Amino acid sequence: MPWYSGDRGPMQVARAIGGVVNDVQRVRRGWGWDTPRPRTWPEQGAVVPPPPSDLGWARQEPVRTIRWLIQHGLLLPFTEAMAHPKVEGREWVTELERPVIFAANHSSHADTSLVLHALSDRARDRTVVAAAADYWYKRPLLGNLVGLFLNTFPFSRTGGAKEQLHSASQLLKAGWNLVFFAEGSRSPDGRIQEFKPGVGFLAKETGTPVVPLHIRGAHRIMPKGQKLPLPGPVRVRIGKPMTPQAKEGSREFTSRVEQAVRALAKEPRQPELQGTWIERWRALKPREPEYIE
Amino acid sequence: MARPGAVIEVDRNTPPVLFHFGEGVRLEKLPLGARIVYPPDPLEPITHPERAIKRALTKPLDDDPLKSLLRKGMKLTIAFDDLSLPLPPMAAPDVRQLVMEEVIDMAAEAGVEDIHLIAALGLHRRMTADEIRHIVGDRIFSTFWPDRLYQHDGEDPEANVYIGKTAEGEEVTLHKRATESDLVVYVNLTLVPMDGGHKSMSTGLASYRGIRAHHNVKTLLASRSYMNPPDSALHHSCIRQGQLIEDTVRVFHIETTVNNHAFPSIANFMQKRETDWSAQDQAMFLGMKQLTDLAPTAFKRNVFHAMRAPYGLTGVNAGQVDAVHEKTLEAVRNQIAVRVEGQTDVVTIGVPYLGPYNVNAPMNPVLVVCMGLGYLFNFYRNKPVLRKGGVAILTHPCRYEFDAVQHPSYIDFYDEVLADTTKPAEIEAKYELRFAEDPWFRQLYRKSHAYHGAHPFYAWYWAAHAMEHAGDIIIVGGDREVVHRLGFKCATTLEDAFEMAEQTVGRHPSVTHMRMPPILLADVE
Amino acid sequence: MLALTYERSIPSYAIVRAAGGRPEVATSALSMLHLGDVPEPELPAHDWVRVSPTVSGICGSDLSAIGGHASLYLDPLTSYPFVPGHEVVGTLGDGSRVVIEPALGCKVRGVEPPCPRCAEGRPGLCYNVTEGPIEVGLQTGYCADTGGGWGETLVAHSSQLHPVPQALSDEAAVLIEPLACCIHAAFRGGATKDDIVVVLGAGTIGLLTVAAIRLFTPPKRLIAVAKHPTQRELATKLGADQVINPADIFQRIRFATGARRLDGFDRSLLLGGADVTFECVGRAGSLNDAVRFTREGGTLVAVGMPGEEKVDWAAIWQRELTVMGAYAYGAEPKKKGKRTFQLALEAAPDLHLEKLTGPLFGLGEYRDAIAYAMSAGRLGAVKVAFDLRGLK
Repeated sequence: MPWYSGDRGPMQVARAIGGVVNDVQRVRRGWGWDTPRPRTWPEQGAVVPPPPSDLGWARQEPVRTIRWLIQHGLLLPFTEAMAHPKVEGREWVTELERPVIFAANHSSHADTSLVLHALSDRARDRTVVAAAADYWYKRPLLGNLVGLFLNTFPFSRTGGAKEQLHSASQLLKAGWNLVFFAEGSRSPDGRIQEFKPGVGFLAKETGTPVVPLHIRGAHRIMPKGQKLPLPGPVRVRIGKPMTPQAKEGSREFTSRVEQAVRALAKEPRQPELQGTWIERWRALKPREPEYIE
Repeated sequence: MARPGAVIEVDRNTPPVLFHFGEGVRLEKLPLGARIVYPPDPLEPITHPERAIKRALTKPLDDDPLKSLLRKGMKLTIAFDDLSLPLPPMAAPDVRQLVMEEVIDMAAEAGVEDIHLIAALGLHRRMTADEIRHIVGDRIFSTFWPDRLYQHDGEDPEANVYIGKTAEGEEVTLHKRATESDLVVYVNLTLVPMDGGHKSMSTGLASYRGIRAHHNVKTLLASRSYMNPPDSALHHSCIRQGQLIEDTVRVFHIETTVNNHAFPSIANFMQKRETDWSAQDQAMFLGMKQLTDLAPTAFKRNVFHAMRAPYGLTGVNAGQVDAVHEKTLEAVRNQIAVRVEGQTDVVTIGVPYLGPYNVNAPMNPVLVVCMGLGYLFNFYRNKPVLRKGGVAILTHPCRYEFDAVQHPSYIDFYDEVLADTTKPAEIEAKYELRFAEDPWFRQLYRKSHAYHGAHPFYAWYWAAHAMEHAGDIIIVGGDREVVHRLGFKCATTLEDAFEMAEQTVGRHPSVTHMRMPPILLADVE
Repeated sequence: MLALTYERSIPSYAIVRAAGGRPEVATSALSMLHLGDVPEPELPAHDWVRVSPTVSGICGSDLSAIGGHASLYLDPLTSYPFVPGHEVVGTLGDGSRVVIEPALGCKVRGVEPPCPRCAEGRPGLCYNVTEGPIEVGLQTGYCADTGGGWGETLVAHSSQLHPVPQALSDEAAVLIEPLACCIHAAFRGGATKDDIVVVLGAGTIGLLTVAAIRLFTPPKRLIAVAKHPTQRELATKLGADQVINPADIFQRIRFATGARRLDGFDRSLLLGGADVTFECVGRAGSLNDAVRFTREGGTLVAVGMPGEEKVDWAAIWQRELTVMGAYAYGAEPKKKGKRTFQLALEAAPDLHLEKLTGPLFGLGEYRDAIAYAMSAGRLGAVKVAFDLRGLK
């Protein structure tokens, strides 16, 4: 049988290519790529209205699978190799029943991958990161790249409070965990700056618990101003989830979270923030499988 | 500004039109002079859905505010529509989740202890835990599942109570918990005019006995069409049953409507009119077409079924069922109605990958008929778009693919019943009872995730009106053996189908293409 | 005389088995089968006559023996070398046409008094197959002293001869022997008018079993399982209510019997199922399916000749199945002792059996004939036979 007959092999490829070329030709002729828009076409309609709960392309399906591959193949091994992070308090993030806000101190670009590294697979799969719109989303490609790798969404640092927090609260309501750096920008010297009130407001409005985290050592890996990361030891400490009390205002809650993060920075184990062993034990209780009948 | 729907006539400059082809897309050039009916643009959604819901619950129509109906020590049941709506499934948070969270908040404040949530699925399949979580949200799911959040079982002899007969002799059954409750709150999502109103309680919480009163060939042939309740015998029957239910149980209906923004931004080319396609849309279309031509079926299926629609809430109405439903229907018609002048000789419809009965499953040939000749054909008011004796042309690959878990009765329906006859009346007389009472189908419906044994019959009856009305039905691109088993004609390309149609309707017929989904309702003059 | 002979040879057997029973090897010079000139069989006693075969069929049992996958259980019941061929229609010296009833029971061997099985009319189960003027052998066609259908001449006892009526052609008459086997099987199975019966396999035996059941024990519903299109057509013509594909067997039988279906690791099983199943293939695959879709307490009749097959006995034990073999023919008590062959000859004209007889080959073309017979289903044939009329 000659090689050019039959359905397999080279003929299949040829047919596929022929199909693609054919389709492109049809679209080109149909929409007149080389000619101006015909007058007989009705007026161009309204842009499809921005949908209220479209959470962005980075949260859709094929991208999520690709991100899983990138994170497990590239990002997490790289983080492991660079930083060998020691994580204390992983119990608080293994069995998350509902979305939480991760509030960490911010001293370097490596913080995000360190936080993601500290989470369990299931939690990481459902986590978004708030990335400053004016820094990351200025150049089109960079914003899409971090969106793909880290699952970020643009967060406006400069607008009014309402717009700033609208997309974040949408995501929380849709069941995503949120990584939020409450300081607003990276600290220049590694010390914790004052927390902006947004995090408390978000927690109160959506009823989401806040998990305080402290990252020590990220400043050495890639401080503000340095382009290339250098390896160095890192310790990530995760505290108990905190919920705002009924009477607490959002500003008070924010400062409570700030105190928690500052306290986590200090050395010895702190049961009030990190949980007594009984609490941590209970947090690790495996969930029972669900049967139907 | 959201444009209303439009009927465009094809001329030399008109670009080719997108036809849905199951899990795939095709570009077809329609003959000169053909009409294309486009759905209206999606309306602006409500910016603060929670506020609108709160307002509706505090000022309901023809009923007392919900807060006043809730008191400590009462038995409250919340029933909600299952995942056959909306299509495609809505992006989180689902509208029903928002409504139910408000209702439960109010109930919690009033101190109601005994709350049950029931998925009112009628004879549809049980949903998996993940699917229920998608509808009700994490908060409700982790609080109430599995003892106080469960699914209706139409074949449970204990849980279905016979409550009486209507004036026309239709039997009515209802879920036991609903009959024992002090208040039933029904949370409905009305995507198409067929849903909602009295149909919610009378089918969602009913058993086979109650549903067969109106899901039969005679009633469906007299429903012209069931997308237009005033002209629909199906709805008249449901209304009678519903009124009997309202006399027995106190029901508070909450009905929501959404706009028809059915496709996410990556699939904008499916949402927009062809003349509005930007370069990005054209590129996405080309990408999608190559993917669907070359990719293996399993991968394609995952991509398509993972699409979540960015529907926006356009209205919430609560209170007494008739008052609420009138407003709901008005809102739905506002969104989807298109004026079409005159009937046509040939109508073409692209059958999409998803219908109400194959969420997360392939569309088997019986469901292709249900979707194309049932639902899509019947989206009309006054008269069908197709004239009597005209030709209906559908495009779908129509493969012999069945989901063994969700559609076991469909497999036997195709293999045994359709091999014998395709006439709905004969099928009903000979086989329906046998399938409805088959112990294995009953078991799969009750314990597994299968549609009821009689369900394929309803899917077939749904198309009975179209089968009787059209002179000929041609499926383009389908598997020849399968299409012949369904009783229709098979063509490879649309041009060949037009050629075949001309044998029935004569040379140079008038052609109309219904560019659906997104949904439209044709008001035919 | 010119005849095909089957010789007992361990090395040949090993070679043929090693080749998986492929026809090219199984009919080669290295095999057990040889075509040649052999001495004519002598008349063993005075009530024996000489018969010249005109048409002689190739049966599944012959193909098993030639292909090396017959059960070794049958070895002591056979004498070598023998001329195969037990589905024989031939002529006597005076030109009258007869069909041979091959079973060599007490009457044929001249043993008095007859053994209990021959006395009750089942000569195929005779205890005295080692006695008499002829060597050991269950049937003509497996005995060294009688000759067989695949030769120019054979000898038969007068009780073995049945005259062929004028209306029946040779091609139809060659199927009388298998039809008799199937009629006997139908009576053994004993299906009643309330039973759902499944016939697994649609070769000669399967199709004739369908015909026999329809004629003699008509059930509530008769389902035939057939793979190839010719077989499906013939099954419907011969009286099956429904013909199904082996691939959908559990699904369709589940629906026909209203049973429940449980899916196991590699096979399904039905809770409920067919009342009587006739297994006419004789292979492990179909036997294992049959024990799973026959209802609890039902009957499984093994009609097709099996070999040493691995069957899951757990199903037979748990479902309390009655498993029975159906072999040969004799006299049918349910028809007041009438001989099965007589019943077959009476039923044959209406069945138009000549349609089932596929290509006829001369003895010289035996290699093509055996190869064709081994793939008969796929090739659209049912009964392949030898035409010995030209040998005069």
